[in-house]
Order: sequence, then C-alpha cells, then structure tokens
Amino acid sequence: MPRTLRKSLPHIVLMAYVVIILFPFVFVVFSSLKESNVEISQAPFALPKSLYFENYAKAWTQAKIDKYFVNSAYIGVSSAVIGVLIAAGTSFALTRMKFRNSSKIVYQTILFSMLIPANGLFIAQYFLVSDLHIIGTHWALFWPYTAGALPFSVLLISAFMKSLPNELEEAAIIDGLSAVGLFARIVLPLTLPALVTVFIINFLGNWNEYLLANFFISKDALRTLPTGMVGFRDAYQMNYALVSTGIVFSVLPVLILYAFLQKQIIEGITAGSVKG
Amino acid sequence: MKNTLKNPAVYLMFVLPTVILYGLFFLYPMFSSVFYAFTDWDGLNPAKFIGFDNFTKAFSDDQFHVAIWNNMSFLLFSVILQVPVIIVFALLISNVKKFQGFYKTTVFIPSILSTSVIGILWGFIYDPDIGPIAAFLKFFGVEPIYWLAESKWAMKAILITNAWQWVGFYIILILAAILAIPRDIDEAAAIDGATAPQRAWYLTLPLIKPIISVVVMLSIAGAMRVVDVVLVMTNGGPAGTTEVMGSIMVNKAIKYGEYGYGMSLAIIIFAFALVLTAIYQLTFGRTERIEY
Repeated sequence: MPRTLRKSLPHIVLMAYVVIILFPFVFVVFSSLKESNVEISQAPFALPKSLYFENYAKAWTQAKIDKYFVNSAYIGVSSAVIGVLIAAGTSFALTRMKFRNSSKIVYQTILFSMLIPANGLFIAQYFLVSDLHIIGTHWALFWPYTAGALPFSVLLISAFMKSLPNELEEAAIIDGLSAVGLFARIVLPLTLPALVTVFIINFLGNWNEYLLANFFISKDALRTLPTGMVGFRDAYQMNYALVSTGIVFSVLPVLILYAFLQKQIIEGITAGSVKG
Repeated sequence: MKNTLKNPAVYLMFVLPTVILYGLFFLYPMFSSVFYAFTDWDGLNPAKFIGFDNFTKAFSDDQFHVAIWNNMSFLLFSVILQVPVIIVFALLISNVKKFQGFYKTTVFIPSILSTSVIGILWGFIYDPDIGPIAAFLKFFGVEPIYWLAESKWAMKAILITNAWQWVGFYIILILAAILAIPRDIDEAAAIDGATAPQRAWYLTLPLIKPIISVVVMLSIAGAMRVVDVVLVMTNGGPAGTTEVMGSIMVNKAIKYGEYGYGMSLAIIIFAFALVLTAIYQLTFGRTERIEY
C-alpha cells in the first residue's frame, strides 16, 4: 500500500462515519428552512430555495414550542441546581464530618441503588406521585428528577471532596468557622469543578427525559420538550418543515452547551455510566 | 476543635434531605414493586395476593415472547455488530493525529440528545414519501419502503436508530482507555517491527479488555431496559412486532390499569439484566487487573 493511502485511509473511514452522524442534523436544518413538504420532497438534498424563517416563528408560538421550551428549561435547571446543592451538602457530611458509622451505611445504601434500572421503578413512582397528590403538576417531574440524580451526584461529589487536604479545614476551624461556614465558604468553592460537571449531567438528563414526562403530565401547557415534541409531530405529521423546526429548537440548546463544555460533558457522562 | 465536625444537628441537616428523597423515591418504590408484583391490582380495589401468577402469565403470553426476543435482538445487535465496529473506530481515532479532537467531539453528539427527539428525527429520515432514504432509493428506481410500518423492517429500523445514538458514546469510552495506555509500550513494539494491525491485535486489544467488558455489560443493561425509542417510533407496532419488555410494562400498567402485572414485568426485566450480566461475567467477561 502506498504511504499516502495508508495515512489517509483512517481519515476516509472516520469521515464517512462523521457524515453519517451529521447528515440527519444538516438534513433537518435544511428542511426547517423549506416552505413545505412539496419543496422537501422535490429536492430533499438541496439547499432551501429561499430561507423560509416563518417556520421558526410558527413553531415557536402556534405549536407552543415556546411553552415546552420554558417548561423544560426551568424544570431542568431548578431540579439540577437543587439536586447539586443537596448532594454537595450530603457529600460534605459523609466525607468530612466525624460520623463514620452512619456515613458508611448511608453511602452503601446509595451505592446499592446504582444497580436498579431507573425504568423499573416507573410504575411504583407513578403511584407515589399520585398518593402525594402532585401528579399532573411539575412537582411530579421535579421531585423524581431531583431524587433520581442524587445517587450519582453524591458518589461523584464525595469522591472529589475526599481528595481535599485535611489541613485546609483544620485551619478554617481554628480561624473560627462553623461546620456550615466551612462547607459554604471553603469546601463548596473548592469543589466547583465537580459541581459544574454534575449540574450539566443532571440538567441534560432532565432536559431529555421522556418516560416520566409523558405519563406524569397530561396537560398540554405543562409538557416538556421531549413529550411536547412527540405530540407536535403527531399533530403536524403532514408538515415536516415545521417538525424539523421543532427538532432544531430542542437540539440547539444542548449543542450550544456542548460547544462550551464538551470536556466536562464527555467526562461526566462516561463516568456516570461506568459507575452505574 | 474537632467538635465543629461532630455537630449532629448540622450532620442531620446535610444528610436528611438525601435520605428522605432517596427513601421516598427509591427504597419505597422498590419495596412496593416487589410486593405488588405478586398481586392482582388495578390501582383502585385492594390488591389480591396471587403468588407467582403474574410471572407465569407473562411467560405464557405470546406477545411477551416477541418482546423478549426483541430485547435479545437489541443485545445481539450491539454485542455482535456494534462492539467490533466500536473497537475498530476507537483504534482508528486513537491512531490519527490530525482531527482527533474533531472526531471525538462529533461522534459523541448523538448520546447527549433526547431519545424521543432522535426517534422523531429518524421517523422523518425513514418517511416513505419525503424522507431522504426514500428519495435516495427512488433515484435507483426502488419503490418506497414503509420502514416503520412493515413488520419485516420496523425492528431493524429501530435497531439502526439506536445504534446511531449509542455507538459514539461507546467509542469515546474505549478511546479513553486506549489513550491511557502508556505510549512507550506501543513504541517499543513498533521498533521491534510489529505492524499497526499487529500492535492493535496483540497489544492494545488485550490491554483494553476490561473496558470492553464494561461496554458489553452496559449493552446488556441498555438492551434490557430499552423503551423510549420504541414508544416514540412505533409504540410497539406494526401488530406488536416491535414491542419490548419495557413498552409492554408501561402500556399494561398505564393504559390497561394492570399495575400488579406491570410491576412483575419490571422485576422480570431486572432479573434478565442481572442473570445475563452474571453469565457474561462468569464466561467471557473474566478479567484480571492490568498493571502497566
């Protein structure tokens, strides 16, 4: 084999794979800027004739993508923030405070949950949120999302906090800080990288979650993007230009986040799966 | 001084929220699932204890047999077809210098997206009237194929979508393991005259065996609990040919109110994952710790 071919062969194979990954996205973006199905079917692979941005305005308001988007965003962010704070507090208590035995029990119990597939608890959780009278409200998603993310969050943040040097907290305590002060003013800032990673992973999980969102929420105005999008597709089956626009709205925020924080996202997601 | 970190009130304040949420949303549902799995329960009337009837009912149901087979197809498809491809791509990416970051970033993208949106996206790709595959085939004079509506194709179409979503994720997992191998091992072999494929086969592959095991076990867990992609793309159709255990569980419980039965299916899914993982661990998955 000639040297140049040997050097470029891996790139040819990999580029082919990259095309397979990216093609659906490019196709959807093109389609979202086309006027109708007719234009898509006449020239599926061509650039749009003129950039038909009306789809975006239409999908945003008429198809209520704006509502779904806001619902997804605030449930996703609030649950991830609260989850990270609770997990950080617990990790601090488990790793830095002097209650060895009870900490061990709590930690082991949490570790155990990593064995349980999340879907398996779905029906029992359905009854739980019914009994708590929060079914059909955003709390029915907020609490299971927050609780569901805790085990992974506690494990990851605990691992990080364990590695902080002891001298630091001794110095802080001699200087008169309380345990809460130590947590809020010393440990939390030092743990920030881990907190950011955990926050992003939890946010992405919430943003993408489908099963609970589909069955615990029935009112259209309360739906999140993944379930709202499915309803939207079923309602606008015939208008793929509009459906494509909806897909762009739902995927774009994730891609923007990914563009800035890809290192944390890749590390966090792979770490989460391997520990699970 | 040590007393600061021995304050029980502060300890409880930090630990209790997690313990309460965990107990409420994990432990309680877990125990109630196990309990109701042995009952006939419609959610309204008191649950009636029926022993193993739910389990025998599941295993004598033809529809459930189809579902088990479909879960197995997910598993076989990923272990037999995807894993070798994943390893080859990871090796290729690890060996290039140019664009390595670009490949890494791109192949990971599908795994951060919502399965339901990916289902919608691929529904469009598969559309027999205006989808790109149909347009491509039309160019060669092939009649449009109803990928998601023909029982011959629907399952395969879902498997491909699922592979498209997850292959990149596993590539990155394996790639990280390959890049963690000290370079001098590889260089020494190269100096001794081993070709790149030889080094991949005799050196890299044995060294990344533990992470390949992890990938296989993740595939087992993933294949057993798969549900979103089926619900969004076909909802089990056409005529139940793409039903998986998870989709039967969800539909039986929520649509037909057979909650006791649904929970027994949840336990069956969990048992399948456990048993398959154990079998794999005891046969091919045995690995020793590797020290460099």
